[in-house]
Formats: sequence, C-alpha cells, structure tokens
Amino acid sequence: MKFKIVILLYVLVSFSCNKKLDVQPQNTVPAEEIKTSDDVKAVLFGAYSTWQNANAFGEKYNTFTELLVNDNDIDWAGTFAEYRDINNKEEDKLAPGIYQVWANSYHTINAANIVLSKLDLLGADDKTVVEGEAKFFRGVTYYYLVNLFARPWSAGNVSSNPGVPLILAPLTGYDAAKDKLPRASVEAVYKQVLSDLTDAVSKLPETSGSFRATKFSAEAMLSRVYLSQEKYAEAAAAANDVIQSQNFSLTQLFSNAFNNVANSTEDIFAIQQTAQSNTGTANFGITTFYSSYPVGRGELQITDAHIAKYEAGDARGAFFYDGVSISGSPGHLTSKWKNLYKAIPVVRLAEMYLTRAEANFRKGGAPVGPNTPIEDVNIIRSRATLPPLAALASVDDIVAERYKELAFEGERFLTVKRLKIPVKEHSYDDPRLIFPIPQREIDLGNALPQNEGY
Amino acid sequence: MKQRILFMLLLLFNAALVMSQNQVIKGTVTDEEGKPVDAATINAKGTKRSVAANSLGAFTISAPSSVKTLVVSAIGFLPAEQTVSGSNLNIVLKKDEKRLNEVVVVGYGQTQKRAITGSISKVLARDVENQPVQSFESALQGKAPGVVVENSSGKVGEGIKVRIRGTSSISASSQPLYVVDGVPLTTASQSDINNEPTNPLIDLNPNDIESIEILKDAASSAIYGARAANGVVLITTKKGTRNNKSVIELNTTLGISNPTMKRGFLNAKEYVQAMHVAAKNDGRYDFANGNAGPDGNTPAANEKEDITNFINYYDTNFIAPYALGTDWRHGAVNTSWEDQQYRKNALSQQYDISVRGGNEKTRFFASGFYNDQEAIVIVNRFKRYGGRLNLEQSINDKLSIGINMSLARTELARVSNDDAFSTPGQLMAQVPTSPLVDPETHDINAKTLYANALFDAKYNSDNQVNYRSIGNIFGNYAFSPALSFRSEFGTDVLNMTEQTFADKRTQDGGGIGKGQYFTSQNVTFNTNNYFTYSPHFNDFKMTTLLGMSYLQNDLRQSNQQAENYPSAAVKNLTGATNVTFGNSANERYNFLSYFFRSNLSYKDKYLFGFSIRSDGSSRFGPENRYGYFPALSAGWLLSEEAFLKTSRVISNLKLRASWGLTGNAEIGEHQYLNLFRVSNYPDLAGFVPYQLGDPKLKWEKTTQTDIGLEFGLFNNRLSGEMDVYNKQTKDLLLAVNVPATNGYFDNVNFLNQILQNLGRLENKGLEIMLNGRIIDQKSFKWSSSFNIAFNKNKIKDIKGQVIQGSSLQRAIEGEPIGVFYMQKFLGVDPATGDALYLGEDGKPTHDYNAAKRLVVGDPNPRFTGGFTNNFSYKGFDLNVFFTFVSGNKIYNNAGRFMSDGFVNGLDNQTKEILNAWQKPGDITNVPRTGWFNGSGSRTSSRWLYDGSYIRLRQVSFGYNLPLAASRWMKISSARIFVSGTNLWTKTKYISDPEVNTLGTNISGVSNITGGVDFYTIPQPRTITFGLSVKF
Repeated sequence: MKFKIVILLYVLVSFSCNKKLDVQPQNTVPAEEIKTSDDVKAVLFGAYSTWQNANAFGEKYNTFTELLVNDNDIDWAGTFAEYRDINNKEEDKLAPGIYQVWANSYHTINAANIVLSKLDLLGADDKTVVEGEAKFFRGVTYYYLVNLFARPWSAGNVSSNPGVPLILAPLTGYDAAKDKLPRASVEAVYKQVLSDLTDAVSKLPETSGSFRATKFSAEAMLSRVYLSQEKYAEAAAAANDVIQSQNFSLTQLFSNAFNNVANSTEDIFAIQQTAQSNTGTANFGITTFYSSYPVGRGELQITDAHIAKYEAGDARGAFFYDGVSISGSPGHLTSKWKNLYKAIPVVRLAEMYLTRAEANFRKGGAPVGPNTPIEDVNIIRSRATLPPLAALASVDDIVAERYKELAFEGERFLTVKRLKIPVKEHSYDDPRLIFPIPQREIDLGNALPQNEGY
Repeated sequence: MKQRILFMLLLLFNAALVMSQNQVIKGTVTDEEGKPVDAATINAKGTKRSVAANSLGAFTISAPSSVKTLVVSAIGFLPAEQTVSGSNLNIVLKKDEKRLNEVVVVGYGQTQKRAITGSISKVLARDVENQPVQSFESALQGKAPGVVVENSSGKVGEGIKVRIRGTSSISASSQPLYVVDGVPLTTASQSDINNEPTNPLIDLNPNDIESIEILKDAASSAIYGARAANGVVLITTKKGTRNNKSVIELNTTLGISNPTMKRGFLNAKEYVQAMHVAAKNDGRYDFANGNAGPDGNTPAANEKEDITNFINYYDTNFIAPYALGTDWRHGAVNTSWEDQQYRKNALSQQYDISVRGGNEKTRFFASGFYNDQEAIVIVNRFKRYGGRLNLEQSINDKLSIGINMSLARTELARVSNDDAFSTPGQLMAQVPTSPLVDPETHDINAKTLYANALFDAKYNSDNQVNYRSIGNIFGNYAFSPALSFRSEFGTDVLNMTEQTFADKRTQDGGGIGKGQYFTSQNVTFNTNNYFTYSPHFNDFKMTTLLGMSYLQNDLRQSNQQAENYPSAAVKNLTGATNVTFGNSANERYNFLSYFFRSNLSYKDKYLFGFSIRSDGSSRFGPENRYGYFPALSAGWLLSEEAFLKTSRVISNLKLRASWGLTGNAEIGEHQYLNLFRVSNYPDLAGFVPYQLGDPKLKWEKTTQTDIGLEFGLFNNRLSGEMDVYNKQTKDLLLAVNVPATNGYFDNVNFLNQILQNLGRLENKGLEIMLNGRIIDQKSFKWSSSFNIAFNKNKIKDIKGQVIQGSSLQRAIEGEPIGVFYMQKFLGVDPATGDALYLGEDGKPTHDYNAAKRLVVGDPNPRFTGGFTNNFSYKGFDLNVFFTFVSGNKIYNNAGRFMSDGFVNGLDNQTKEILNAWQKPGDITNVPRTGWFNGSGSRTSSRWLYDGSYIRLRQVSFGYNLPLAASRWMKISSARIFVSGTNLWTKTKYISDPEVNTLGTNISGVSNITGGVDFYTIPQPRTITFGLSVKF
C-alpha cells in the first residue's frame, strides 16, 4: 500500500514540467524576435499600414482637416459628434478621434524609430534604402503632427511656440521616466522634418517596387514643408526635381487620377488598398465618409457654393454626383473617393506643377525649371479641359487653381495656415483651427502645455 | 496455474463458509408520514455490507448472523439505528430539520453542512429546473445572498453579468469560476466580437443539475487559488442512485413570452403635434436671434412669419418625405414601430427525459433534452438539444471508475448589436407617420427615416451553432476506509461557428451583400489528482486533501469575410465573389497547481481548517509565474456545548470565521511581453509595435475575511445565516494608461495601455438569510425564505488614473467602480426653455461646454435579495418568489435620440416630450424642442434614473397527482404546473430595469460599464405550463 501511494505521489509531482508554462505567442511577435533583416523590413512595412490607417492618410488626416478649415464647402450630414464638433470649430479635447490621430502618428514614428535603431541587422544594399524610407515616414508624420497640433510656422515665434514631443529613439520596454515629455518648439520639429526628409531624398532610390516611397515621394513632401516655411526657392526646386524626373505624367483625364486599383501615372506617393487590406468600411475610411450610401455613409456632402466655384467646362467641377447619406439626407458628393479599396493619392504630380508655379511666382526672378508660372498653371487647366489663362492677375489665381485641383484631398489646411487664409470668422491662427492636445496626454502629464483655448 | 486454481477454490470455499453464516434481513424505510424514503442506505453495523432501499423504501440485506443492528441513513434525514428483530423491519426516519447533515459539495470533495467553516450558498435542482431561461445562472438571482445576476437584455443567449460579493477587479474579468463535476468551464464569449458577447453556459442543460454550490468566502474558494477571487460556482450534475428500480422522469414545458413593458412612443397625431411645437420653438428662437430662417436664406419680417416658415419647412422636409404621399395631416398612417420589434406571444418549449438508477455495482443517470425558445424580439431564437450520461462502476471494494459526459448542440439565431441601425431594437426610432408598407411598391417600406431594420430581419441571418462536450472520466481507489485517491481527466470542448449573411437589399449588406464565417474551437483539458485522508481518532476527526491539477486551454479561431453576392440564393461565402478578410489564430494558456487542505474537528463542535494552493500560469512571465494562496478558518458549534444542548429555544448555533488569499489571472495571454502585431499592407506584410509589457506582472490578490453566524430556533422552525465580509484586492491587474507618444499603440481597440499591478479596491458587505417553516401541519405547509445582501464597493487607490469604461462610466479613486461621469442636468430655465447644467464655477449654466463633468450616479446596487414563499396543501403547491435590487442607477443612453426633442434627429419620441417647455414661464423638466434650436440633447444626467426594483420573479402553482391515481396510472408520480415569470415589477425606471447593453469588441462582460440602456430589449414576461412525470 505504501508503495502504491509513493508511486501516485511521484505521478503528481512529475507533472510539474515547468516548460509547459512557457507558452509563446502564436499570433503576435515578441520584440526580442525582431532579429533579422527581414524582421526589420517588416517593421518598416508596418509603417505603411499605420499610414493606411483611418487615423492617418486613410481618412482623418483628410476628413478632420477638411472639416476643420471648412468654410462653406462641406455640409456635414452625419451623426458622429466629433466630426460635427470639428466642423463647428468646437473641438472636444476629450473626443476619441483626435487622440487616435495623435496616437497613430506616434505609432508611425515609433515604427520608424525601431527600424532606425536596428539598421545594423540589414545588409549593405538594403541599409541605405531602409534608412531613407524610415526617415521619410518619420519626417512626414512629424510635419503633419506639428501642423495639426501646434500653431503654424506662419504665425512666427517658431522657437518659442510649442510643437509636439520629439522622440527619435524607440522604447525597448516600459519606462516611467520617459512618460512625461515636453513639447519641442515648432522650429525644432521643423528642423527634424527637414533633416529627415533631406536625408530620405539622398538615400531613397528613384524608383521602387510595390509602390514604396521613392526619392521623389520625399521631395514632393519636402516641397510642402518648404512652402509652409515660405522657402519658395527650395519649394520650387523640390517640385521641379519631381517634374523633371519624367517618372510621372498627368493622367489624360482628370477623373483618371482617382479610384485606381494602384498608383496612377501621376501619383508620386499613394496609399494602396485592396479588398483585404484597407482603411475601413463601416465606420472608418475615406470612402466611408465621402461616398454615397450604401457604398459609404455619404456624410461629407459638398455644398452648392463649392461647386459654383468651378468655371463652366471644368472637368473638376463635374467631378461630383448626387447621392444620399446613411440617414437619408440627399446631397452632392465628390467622386474623388467614390469607390472602396482604391489607391489613395497622398501627393500627385498636379500639385508639383502648382507648387512650382506658386513658388516661382512668389520668389520672383528667373523661374526654377523650364516653365513660367502661367505655363505650369495652364498645364493643369488644360488637363481639366479649361482654356489657358492669358495672364495671372495675382498669385491668388494660382492658389485658387490649387484649391480646385486638390479639393477634398486633405491638403487645404496646410494652404490655409501658410497663407493665413481666414475660415469663416476664425483667423488662420485661431486656437479653434488647431486641434487640442488629447486631454488624456495632458492628464498623464505628457506633452504639456495644452493648446490655447482648451 | 495450479496455484491459481487452488487459490480460486480456496476463495470459493471461503465464500461458501461466509454464506453459511449469513442471515437475510428484509424491511422498509419510511418517513414519519409513512412515505417511502428514496435512496436510504442500510448498513449492517460493524461490517462493510450496505444496500440501498428501492423507490418503495424496501430493502433486502444479507449479513452475518452476528449482526444485531442496522444503521440507516438518507440525505435529509437523521441517521437511525434499528435492532434486528423479526423478518420484516419497519424503519422510520426522522427528518433532519437542522439540515446539519446535508451534504455540501466543496472544492475537490464534499462535506457535511455542520463541518463547514466557510461561506457557501447551496442552490438545489428545483430552483433551476423548468425555468424559462437559457442558462442556469439567470435563475440564481435572489436565491443566494451575495450573488448578483444581471440579465443583460431580453435577447436570448446573451452574456450575463454575475458578481459574487461585488466586483473585485477593474481590468481583469470579475466573472466567477464555474466548475462542472470538477471541470473548469469556458465562460468567455466565443462569438464574433462585432456583435455582443454570448454566454457559453447556455450549452449546459439546467435540468441536468443536481445542485449548485457557490463558494463565496476565501476559506471555501482558496482551494481554487489563482482563479478564485471572483468566487467559485460548483455545479454538480445528477448522478445515479443505488436504487434497485430505475426512475424515468419526463419534463415538458410550454411557455409564452411577451415584453414586460414597452417604452411608449408618440402616435402619428402626437408626433406631428410635437413636430409643430418644435417648429414654433425654432421660429421664435430664430427670429429673436436675428437668424435667417430654416435654410439660412429666408429672413422673416416678424415672429409669426418666421414660425410659419419653419412649420412649412418641417412639413416639407421633415414630415412629408417619410409619409410617402399619405395624408399625414389627418393621421392616415399611424405605425407603432415599437410593436414591430416584438413577436406576438413568443413561444418556448422544452422536453427532457431522464433515467436514473443503479445497483450495487453500477450507478447511472442518463438524459436527453430539447429546448426551443423564441425571444420576445423578432428573429432571435435559441435551440438546444443533446444528452448526458453519468455512469459509475464499482470494480471492487476499492476501485471504482466512471464517466460524466454531456453533449449538446446549441443554436442561436441572432440580431445585430444594440448600437446597430439594423437591430430590431432600433425600429422604435422610426416615425409613426411612416407606413409599414410602401404604397407604391407594396413591399416593406424602404424610405424610412433610418434604414428599415425590417429588411434586415427579413433577409439577413446571423446563426451561431455550438457543439459542446463537457465531461470527465475518473477513477477512485480506496486504500482503506480512511485513505483514498481520485484521478480525473476532464475536457470542455466548445466548437462554435457563426455564419452571417447580409443581403444586398439591407443596410448591412451595403448594396452588394456581405457574409462572414467565424469559427472558434476552444478546448480545455484538465486533470485533478488527489489523496483524501479522513481518519477518526475518538473525538478527533480529520479530512486532509493533497493533490495537483493541470489545466491546458487551446483556442483556435478563424474568420472569413466576403462580399458581392449576386443574389440571396447561396448565403455561404461560396456565393460571394470577393473575399475581403481571412485569418486564423491560435492561443494557449495553462495552469499547473498543487493544493493541500486539512479540516479538523474536535467533538464535532470545534472546527478548524487550513488550505494552501500554489498556482503557476503561462499568463505571467518567468519572474513571477507562481503564486501561493493560503486560507485559515475556524468554527464553533455552540449548540453542541452542554449549556445549550438542552435549550428549547436554540436548536442550532454556530459561529465561524475565515481568512484567506485568492487570486485573479483573467487577463488574456502574453500581457507581460512587448509585442508586435502583424499588419497586411498590400504586398508589404509587416509588423507594428502594439503592446508594452511589464515582465514583473503577477497575480491580482484578494484577501477576504468573513465572520458568519448560523442559527436555528424552536427546533429549527426559524433558521438563518448571517455573514459579514471584508474583501480587499491589491496589486490590481490594471490597464494603466501610458502616453501615446511611446508609440506602442493597440490600433484595433485604440489604446495606449500597459497592464501593471497597481492599485487597491475593496468590497465590504453583509448577507442575511432567514428561513422559516411558518405552518408545518401534515396537510398544510407554509415555508418562507428571505435573503438580503449589502455590498459596498470602493476603489481605494489607482494612483490618480482616469480609467474609462466608456465615455459615460469610469473607475475613479474613492468611488465605487463604474460610476456615471457626465454633465449634471439641473432642469429647464423657465424663461428660455434652455437646459441648465452645473457649471465649472458651481453655478447653473446654459452652455454645455461650460458644464462640468462629475460623478452623478452609481450603477452598483446597494442591496439585493429575494423573498420566497412556498405553500402546500395536500397535492397542491404554490411558490411565490420576489427579487429586489436597490440603490443602483440606470442611464438611458438612447435618451439623446428618443427624448431629445428632435435635436439629434427626427426620431420618434417618448411621451415625455409632450411636456416640453413651450413658452416663457413654463415649469417643466423637458427642455425646448426643435431640430434647429432645441436644447438639452447632449449626454447628461437628464437620462439617469433610479434603477431600483422589486419584481415578482416567479409564481408557480402545481398539483401533484394523489398516490392512488399514480398507482392506477402505473406511474410513480406526476405534477402539473403553471408558472408566471416577471408578472409584476415596481420600478422608477422607464423601461425594464434589468438592463445592460453589453457593447461589442469584448469577450466578456466589462467591469466598469453596466446599467446602460441603449435600445436594449426588455426582459420577457412568461407564462409557462408544465408537466413532470416519474415512472
């Protein structure tokens, strides 16, 4: 009997195979498993998905900013309170969407920082490209962050106006000491943006597969940064470089520039989508909000006043259709984001012509590149099936052309801020045209101070 | 070989020798009223020989002729000794009124009620049998003090919130651990997270349950260590008996359900009236503020003109479009959309048949069951069928083996979550002037205010099918009467598929048709192996347990989505042209545990217990993988002391106290690691950083002290139990917000959090249970039972964190969990009709943005309880059962659409809107209405209500066939009954007070959210007819 008991006791104890308790994740990747060149590249590709996310170029970099600087172009026909509040310039510092945009942007930055901290794992041939690409993501994201959450460069005092926290190295584990970061100045953030993007220009290849970023993607974005800083010669040079590369050409029809399964000939950088990988359908995504029900919710409806701004015969003025919102309100909708799962242009060649024109006009003197401003503007007008202008009355003609060309592409707020254009009764620098730092961050003692007026 | 034959011969000879010395004793066992006692055990004193009486109480035992006395025992009766004399003994057993010998199931064993030093509530089969519910916990509300069951809605099969002695965690699950016959159950929802969580306990047939023991204090639950902090519910299924005759039992019920209450919306006439009031308000406001009319383009010369403009605008743009050309001005159409969401007399039926019996060697219980319940809400339906076999075989005196196994198939036809336009619950938002049938197309009206959910009801489907097998095999080996070893191998296999189809004609179909196929296979393997040693030394009795347990759970899920269906002919994904999503995912966790428990008693009056369990789990990192959970307890049976033993008043008095430590690890997998998630950008599959982990993560610890008093007066005519407890949880597994700038972003749930052991909370409470046999005559009996439990929850320290459960509810230091946190509504300004809120400066304000957010209410009840009365007169029995809940608040989150005065939409309104402010001087609580210029439509305490209720949960009236009739019909007994559920409710809440919209994207029931109504379906009121026959 004792013998049997001893055997049973042994059986009990022998179960104590502690290795059983070491269960590795099967759906996720522990940080210490990032150890090959392919792993590092995978983190870089992760950054693409963070931009595809509805909280970045996939939607809110567009919808939130278009509503924020909406004068009388968009009728908000939806039910979501946060969109309504932004449209009314009554942003709620507690609202989830603004926090998600903020968090997603730092998500991109973290991915880039992780890649940059692990460049040693890459082979010599990959290393330069991957570094350039990571810096492209980081630079562009900081540029958007500083424009969304801080006073614009055009408001001056850039060395004292708070920008956003500047993080250039990843956390490898939770570190309470790094919880409370100050906001770097607007100037410091811009400096980083320029450094990242110029580095990216020098390291990225001229062409790429899978619609990855190229040297010209970085240069095109750089031209926007220079415009914001009123560095017109540099802006014109960057835009000119892209145009002169001959890698891109305007689509024959304006309508061909949108709703493509992949990049059009004029996409310098675009977010790719498929039925399996996209920015959202039911409650998220650019098409969800801009496209008529039942494809989308049809809630960003275009006003008659906006459509009236186009001259007769303008192909862009005809690029609207009548539809209905999910709750039954009829209205006009833009065709730019009509279909699901299509490439989302982030920067198009058309913009480069308009940037070169405007920058050349503003800087004066001999134009950078082969064309005069009016020639560049007429290239865009003729694609829109409009007759050429004989002369430019003022630079405002170029700006007006820019708005019609790029309407509802999420670029408007950058122009409003840099050119100090008022929105309704709000001046360009009104606190209500700047998003609040998400209150959640402030509550945690992070990213202080809160923006004025919140 | 030769040796063996010799041995066998010897054995035979021996047996023959024994035989020759035997006597045969026959007899019957009855109770004091002469009724046969089922399942009495008759033991020949001084030997191991025992037999069981049959259903007529008769027995035959052969025993050595030296035996002079028989010992007879039966559950619910006091044991008796009978001297052997004559050939046919009549043994009368006395009922055990003290119920001290009642068997109570505890972790890894059972004991007698008198020996218990912890706090355990026992619920018997009759309380959960034949109830119009899908799972047994729904029937527990009000039966066991300290157990709070919140039915979430009148939909069938939905998740149910169960709290034992309060919520003891913030971020980890607070649902109790459920164990069926030794197998821990999977209770987290396996369903598609885009809909509300469902309840996996629906796979268990309530009629198979013999008893439910709820281990509430630490002394009784700490033997389950790391999983016990939320309490443990032990479910014991019906087992075979030693009866000679098998009993066949047939139960059948038929139920009819309707909603307990409807909200009551405006009819067409009232709606048009309310619209015109709103238009008038808008016109007046517009004119007074110098605005330019409804379209911003028609300035009016005077107020009257402005009002006319608005009325015209309302008529043309708001009313006419949905009337589809009908004469809405004269009430041509008056649709009650609220009625459309309910079935008229939802039917439910249940049949089950079981056989129970056995002999000396074999004991068995087998059952087959079928259950079909229509929910009161359209489309929604629950079906379950399956069977159970519990079998135990004694191989010899020492070894017995057995199997407990149930197989069930459960089907749920589901509707969308409460927040979806497509759910029938939101039909009530449609306007009453909107016809049901489009006069032009003669089809369902497609031109309603919101996409018409009747299309979804007609064409869409969401069907969930579970195949569930729960059971174990076991072996028991008795080394000696005092020492035994038991080994159990159990599994809980849950196989679920959920298939949804959204037709292109419906809103969810997005114009193209969409489908989804979701599977989940959740398999738990569990083994328990333990020694039980229970020697007696004169006045000392001891029961000691030593053992181990290993549990492994494997989860495999996959999900495919597709769209673009040419038609509704093929609803499988096969019928779609475009696959939009596909994945598969695996997870595993395991627990390795050792446990020891020893209970000592001296002279049956001084009781002492000690237990300890060690748990190791894959859920924690190597640094803190193991936890130790001790418990201590003591009891003193004062009534056994000389000074009370002879008391005529006090028949039972016991004091007990316990202390122990339990844990919680219900946090999901791999929380301690830094993790990347896979991303699928086209052609560029990648990793994104999504979780920061704390490698030091460890168990959440709950220490609980409990002091209890059990008493019985006047020969136990009045008895009761009282417990006070103090439950302190520390090292909370808390999802701590960290700055988003660190870039580890969970971009699926939109969180920047790290799970850490941080913070403390407490639950303190008092539970009282009183039982009385008020009238106890032979033919008329009235017994009554009342219980009440108070619990106070308080978050003591979360380092100043703001933890939101939703935008409405929070965990805040110094407050109970889940308090409603929002703007405080102070009423209506009689001068302007504006809603007034409490401002940041403490003064009333019209400006919502200047209003301060503060704690406005607590969703946790202050006390809960139940009150039961049982009457029986001859063959009739009547049971009247009330439950009550008090002190909790309910927030009607849909108020901002259904009672907002058209500010957030043209939704039909509840009747309260008829009392809205209309002109200066009006004293009302309902602010100015108006689509353009109305007031008070935003989230505030305006829609917070007292959620207290008292409810006549059940009345049942039954009739037992007289014995003679039963005999004539050749059956042993029969009972017919009719019962009513939720027949009467008293509450201040505007709809059914048992409400908790569960939300989506969660697998369980959240701790912080609760008591929120968002178009939630009310509870059913059910009339059930039933028949129960024993053969």
